[in-house]
Amino acid sequence: MNANAGVMAAADMFVGNPFSTRHTRPGAIPPLDSAGRPVDVAALCAQLAFKGGSAAIVGAHGSGKTTLLEALAREFERAGIPAGRVRLRARRDAVQVLRAILCSPAGAVLCVDSWERMVPVAAGLVRLVARAVGCNLLVTTHRPTALPTLVVCATTPRLLAAIVDRLPGLEQRGGEVIADVDIEAAFRNHAGNIRESLYELYDRFEDRTRRPPVRL
Amino acid sequence: MRLPQFFGKKRGHRRTGSHLWGSFGEGLFYACLVAAGIVFGGLLLSGMVRYAPADGQPVPLPWAYAWCVWLLTMLIPGALLAFGGSGLTRVVRAWGKSEERRAASERMPEMLDAMGHAVGEAPGHPGVPTCDDLVNSPGTILRYRLPIESPESWTLFGFGLFAGLWNAVVVVLAVGAGFELVSGRTDWLLLALLVTFLAVGIGGIVVFVRALVLATAVGPTQIEICDHPLLPGEQYDVLLAQGGSGVFRSLELFLEVEELATFRQGTDTRTERTIVYREPVREWRDVQPVPGARFETHATIMIPPAAMHSFASEHNAIKWRIVVRGSPERWPVFVRVFPVVVFPAPAAISPVASARPFATVAGEVGS
Amino acid sequence: MSGSVAGNGVVKVAPRVAMQFDQADRVYEPRRELGIRYHVEGIEPEVVRAIERSMLWYTEGKGEEDLGVHFFERIEDAAKLAQASPTGSFMVALPSSPLSYEGVVVKVRWCVRVRLFFGGGRDFVSEHVFDLGSVPPARGPLGRLE
Repeated sequence: MNANAGVMAAADMFVGNPFSTRHTRPGAIPPLDSAGRPVDVAALCAQLAFKGGSAAIVGAHGSGKTTLLEALAREFERAGIPAGRVRLRARRDAVQVLRAILCSPAGAVLCVDSWERMVPVAAGLVRLVARAVGCNLLVTTHRPTALPTLVVCATTPRLLAAIVDRLPGLEQRGGEVIADVDIEAAFRNHAGNIRESLYELYDRFEDRTRRPPVRL
Repeated sequence: MRLPQFFGKKRGHRRTGSHLWGSFGEGLFYACLVAAGIVFGGLLLSGMVRYAPADGQPVPLPWAYAWCVWLLTMLIPGALLAFGGSGLTRVVRAWGKSEERRAASERMPEMLDAMGHAVGEAPGHPGVPTCDDLVNSPGTILRYRLPIESPESWTLFGFGLFAGLWNAVVVVLAVGAGFELVSGRTDWLLLALLVTFLAVGIGGIVVFVRALVLATAVGPTQIEICDHPLLPGEQYDVLLAQGGSGVFRSLELFLEVEELATFRQGTDTRTERTIVYREPVREWRDVQPVPGARFETHATIMIPPAAMHSFASEHNAIKWRIVVRGSPERWPVFVRVFPVVVFPAPAAISPVASARPFATVAGEVGS
Repeated sequence: MSGSVAGNGVVKVAPRVAMQFDQADRVYEPRRELGIRYHVEGIEPEVVRAIERSMLWYTEGKGEEDLGVHFFERIEDAAKLAQASPTGSFMVALPSSPLSYEGVVVKVRWCVRVRLFFGGGRDFVSEHVFDLGSVPPARGPLGRLE
């Protein structure tokens, strides 16, 4: 146990459905690679410097891009590098990105989620401005862009199984409520979208366990 | 010596690191922004108001620039100051405070402003939505007339607006193409555009007319109720009034509970809506409204004694609703929803539901 | 097992908060009083700089987590701290809502939290769940009429 650890006690933690967003949101589970192994976040951060400081995390919907982006942002902050965060929801949010870049100190990293929502002209302008002020960009996108690719997020049934293994409380139900076949079926039904697969497993768990949750 | 960590990692419920040092790091970042704004603004100001001739001392100039030039020039340092200042203020306010303390202090202004309850919340019932919007329309026979959820009139208006605007563009294109033809010129691009727009415009008119006929033929549905808000264990008289000119094979009345959960993950906003309770109240068959009048009938709804009350928070909700489903003879089935609000039972003792025993843990000392 | 504490107040082992509710089944009626007694184990009492005791509800399920604080108390005064740690107790009048609810995509849970603050900016929180009201679980997802 680390000294000075500020840890919430697990005693008396109410688990309920282990697939609820409380346990599966980005940050609740550390980023894993396609084989289900923990990603070496520090090594990825070091790679970013070799890519010129700006790069993209590429992957399909629900492949863990946002989870990895958030982990990298925290790693940068741990290393003393300011890391801003912007989530693009519409094309007009390019202004929000520009504002964040202009407010960032030189050497900072701006983490932009959903870079593909930016029109190419705006994306080029943003990159120019970022380079001018010395701000690095780390973005998530569904397809390769003009930015160098830092990592490609790929999903496999093994990855989904590894995520499920890390969820609390499954073993407390006295047996396998969610079996390997459920995980494989969910992965197959949603074409590898981990997020949607977890939603389906949530529904399956609810259907099979409509009884009071377990107190640990 | 272990250095302070300016970050905190969240692992589900667990959080490592120190919130205090994390706040310090964040505050330092925003302080840098404020400093950058001051320095940048100062440099700009000094650059704008000083004139440095090649052979003399710099002299300050009178303010000869237009106000818009000043505005644009000061935009960047202004943005830095605003962003950094607001962030710094937020950090200072939340300095060293736990999640519970921040949530409690954020709630305080709302409570003070709204006489002890949050805006949109029923007085004395935290987490229960107010029903003010549902009781501001008196009924003709019973006390209240309930508003309909997502009224079809808005859909009809939308169709009509689209059809109108689109066909206005079609007319403009047609006039332009007509002038071209009259003058002996044939603009094929304009003609192709006109044909495409015309096809969509005709489709828009068809959809609008169909929706109009459907709304007219089926007629409006109204629900009146004897009292509101509703309480568990109580019964309420409901009036169903259905207009229209045709025969309805059936009209059904239901009481439902719907759960709504909204989640943002990545760049998606997802709302999950699930019906978790449905009680058929009554069904009427072969209903024929009298021309010029409407079919009116009464029914009684009962809220189960151990029912969950209505609930609303920022991202989650539990909603009660009265649902009317009609099957007209010559038109598609329609469903109309009327929201209601159920308050918690007023009595201190609520019936114990036999299906709800939580596991009793022996030696109850936190484990 | 008690934790070892360095001279600068560094906590070597994570503490544990044992909590006892005045009702063994932890099911409470709205508007009644709830009594809590807790005991902090695993650390020396002198290490604790402040204690926060709170009671709140939160949502769980498929949506973003919302929470509402019903009761909050922070104890920093040395004299009061001596009474609140390592053993403390308090009573809270429960509200009428929201009731605990085991839905399909929305669940409402109530809990008591005790948060301990140490020197160096560290803190430790322990959460203990109870039920407000006796609402039966939702029956399950049904098909939509519309």
